[in-house]
Amino acid sequence: MKFHGPRATLRMAELHIIGQIVGASGFPHSSLFCKWGIHTGGAWRLLSGLREGQTQVDSPQTSDVAFWSHPIDLHYATKGLQGWPKLHLQVWHQDSFGRCELSGYGYCHVPSSPGHHRLRCATWRPLGSWQEQLAQSFVGGGPQLRFPDVIYSGADRYRLHTGAAGTVELELGIILRNFDKYGVES
Amino acid sequence: MATSNPSVFLLMINGQIEGADFPEYDELYCKYCFVYGHDWAPTSGLEEGISQISSRGRDTRHGLVWNFPVEITFKSTNPFGWPQIVVSVYGPDTFGNDVVRGYGAVHVPVTPGKHVKTIPMFVPESTSRLQKFTSWLMGRRPEFTDPKVIAQGEGREVTRVHSQGSVSFSFNIVTKDMKKLGYDVGHPRDV
Repeated sequence: MKFHGPRATLRMAELHIIGQIVGASGFPHSSLFCKWGIHTGGAWRLLSGLREGQTQVDSPQTSDVAFWSHPIDLHYATKGLQGWPKLHLQVWHQDSFGRCELSGYGYCHVPSSPGHHRLRCATWRPLGSWQEQLAQSFVGGGPQLRFPDVIYSGADRYRLHTGAAGTVELELGIILRNFDKYGVES
Repeated sequence: MATSNPSVFLLMINGQIEGADFPEYDELYCKYCFVYGHDWAPTSGLEEGISQISSRGRDTRHGLVWNFPVEITFKSTNPFGWPQIVVSVYGPDTFGNDVVRGYGAVHVPVTPGKHVKTIPMFVPESTSRLQKFTSWLMGRRPEFTDPKVIAQGEGREVTRVHSQGSVSFSFNIVTKDMKKLGYDVGHPRDV
């Protein structure tokens, strides 16, 4: 939804997120891609940019780090501080037959201070029973979340048993506008 | 009137493509171009360039040096569409054909100051083993028709790539009138 009128924009605080999802390391498989999205509270309005996306599939030749260099460029306007944007990630492995298997879930808050930030987001994946884990080591697959909002909310987490997976690296540049006119210090 | 109530801000980039690290390849050159949003326009400097062909020196084991200057100034009304520099690296294969060795893109840094960045390069993957063999034989590797595609976030989910090598840049960033327009980009920093 586009925002009309310079007067209205002058009163709103704006946030620019300019950066990229650099890549991932520490995963057992090498052919990886990442589905990402940004979740905000109700006071935030996306003015320009893509709220979600999926990176290319990278199979690194020489190193064990998968690089995506996926650009992120978002422009938000907000009336309130609640619901600060959160970036959530799903790392998937694609094998040579084209089947996709989940490798990890993770999320991190978009930094609230302006400037350049290098973020490392740790990821986790759900573990099943020991029989399911044994089967997963032979045929792949494994449990996935039915509702992906568990990735960035703490509400129903107590039901899960998870194991650690690799790390996703992000570089984000944050530009704030008009936050100081509302007395917000960051 | 222009300085007290500005409507545009300027972004000046003085930098260079320092060199590359491709352990398996030699005699490479690179092309760069800038990709930016609709609210941006270059006011001075070159948007594109091709570097010299460079070989690895005898002393340095893996590094290639281009030392290729990149100087450009943009004006804009909106940080959305912040410029990205897209680099494509080319070199000869065993038969002497010019093939692509890597593509990469990175946003120009947002904060004023000196920044040194190393970006990973990738090449598109052949869809089948037969295509991989014929492209090696004929010297026509899979490449992007327009390298600017790499700077976009859409449509990437269908590309399969191999990452190999890296290119290092240094940037010196200066901005004008961003504070007057209300933008806060944090403190200038040195890396």
